[in-house]
Amino acid sequence: MARTLTFKIFRYNPYAADSTPFLQEYKVEETQRMNLFAALNYIRDELDPTLMFDFVCRAGICGSCGMLINGRPTLACRTLTGDLPEVIELLPLPYFKMLGDLSVDTGIWFRQMEENVESWIHTQKEFDPAAEEERMNNELANKIYESERCIECGCCIAGCATANVNPDFVGAAGLYRVGRFMMDPRDERNEEQWFELISTDEGVFGCIGMMACGDVCPKDLPLLEIMAFVRRKMSATALTK
Amino acid sequence: MYSENTELFPQASPGGGKSTIAGRKAKRALWTELISGVTGLLLSGFIFGHLILESLSVFGAEAYQTVADFMEKTLPLAQISAVVIPLLFLIHFIYAGRKIPGKLYERKRMLELGHSLKKSKNRWNQKAGEYTTLRRHFETSLWIWQVRTGMLVLALGAFHFVLVIWNIFTDMGINATAGIQAGVSGPRVESGLWLLYLFLGVAIVVHMSIGLYRLAVKWLADTWFDRKIAYVVFSILFWVYLILNFLGVAGLYRVMNGGLL
Ligand code: HEM
Ligand code: SF4
Ligand code: SF4
Ligand code: FES
Repeated sequence: MARTLTFKIFRYNPYAADSTPFLQEYKVEETQRMNLFAALNYIRDELDPTLMFDFVCRAGICGSCGMLINGRPTLACRTLTGDLPEVIELLPLPYFKMLGDLSVDTGIWFRQMEENVESWIHTQKEFDPAAEEERMNNELANKIYESERCIECGCCIAGCATANVNPDFVGAAGLYRVGRFMMDPRDERNEEQWFELISTDEGVFGCIGMMACGDVCPKDLPLLEIMAFVRRKMSATALTK
Repeated sequence: MYSENTELFPQASPGGGKSTIAGRKAKRALWTELISGVTGLLLSGFIFGHLILESLSVFGAEAYQTVADFMEKTLPLAQISAVVIPLLFLIHFIYAGRKIPGKLYERKRMLELGHSLKKSKNRWNQKAGEYTTLRRHFETSLWIWQVRTGMLVLALGAFHFVLVIWNIFTDMGINATAGIQAGVSGPRVESGLWLLYLFLGVAIVVHMSIGLYRLAVKWLADTWFDRKIAYVVFSILFWVYLILNFLGVAGLYRVMNGGLL
């Protein structure tokens, strides 16, 4: 029994002087195993070519399609219309720079966060392009790989009340990123440097434990678990030294 | 290179040790968190005992008086608590309250976001085990309730402290002796104080259960005491203490008439 879906979509173009935000309705006939990627493309192709939204991989890999779907930040390409009632409200992710309609620029925030946590390997070693790469044990390599699964979709930031009111808070994605470099033996930052970097109000102690990040992360990353570990590690550093 | 550290450029010499501005700033953040958590934990421990003892009033005036005398005379625990608990209360208020955003639009934004996440449960009809499983989320709203109940506890608790300290250390100018007496507490509660204690008790139980749950998740989420277990444990605790609170207030109300039994 095909349903007729009603989409209520946020429309606003911040670059047009006469644009004011409103919700526009579109009717779409549901097809089997339809996802929001298909539905939104149908709307743009058939109903309204001015609608702005982002997709690249349409497979939950690139992180560009995060939006508020019936009140929840998540990936549109991984959301089936069958999991939603007939009325579907789509809003852009809050907090990020708005580009238009459902499109936001998460890159600006992530770039800033990466600069803040200095998301690169800190080493004094001279790079020798001719030398053979140093080997890493497989278990550790897998762990680091696991911690790079974040796709930077921004759902955990948009869903975090703290990040929403504190632009300097590095958020769950930022703390997860720091965890990746703490694990990496090539990064020479010492305990004190880590401590100064994340035992702060912009780091792990800015978080008030509302748990939204862990609940909305579409990659199911163990964000709360990492943060609990970091809290204890920071306390141990401070109390034992 | 900067040789001087300033508050404006705390990262100017990273890794310079505990004495740098960045190091001190990080340490301050850590201690703030520890102090608010530990005082919350201690206050919760106190409330565990307080509500159990208070609810013994369901057995009538004699039981109530025995407990009061034991706490005041046999052990001076009532007197010690009357000094220590208000202090902890004040410290906790200062350090935990620091996390409440100062600007109105920030609080509104948190409120809206929490509401949106909580309400989304009814706006999705995803079955478990489908493509991805949607987790329900209401902890953002729980935190907001923790702030609200915290404020209520601050106001009502302060009144309760004044009354009880006055009562424990003086004869209040009307009683035979200093100290808690069933003959004074009962009529006082019956004549209207029950309403205040009911609100205070419910607010504390809500605040404390959410606080302990969040405390456990924040520090232990990756251990065996994970979020699921913490949720179950503190939900049970919430209901048990809510009932104890009702029993305590009802018992006090009827304490001169043989309690509830
Ligand atoms: C003066 C009245 C109070 C106020 C204004 C207040 C306020 C707060 C606030 C805003 C938080 C959240 C802090 C955060 O998220 O980091 C909090 C946490 C907490 N409170 Fe209170 N509170 C009060 C009294 C109490 C009392 C009487 C108890 C004991 C029953 C208590 C137990 C806790 C616990 C266990 C936490 C969790 C600590 C944490 O998450 O770090 N509070 N309180
Ligand atoms: S636990 Fe809550 S406050 Fe902390 S990062 Fe996650 S969503 Fe934000
Ligand atoms: S941690 Fe999860 S929710 Fe946050 S940006 Fe990465 S993938 Fe998205
Ligand atoms: S389009 Fe790439 S994650 Fe959705």
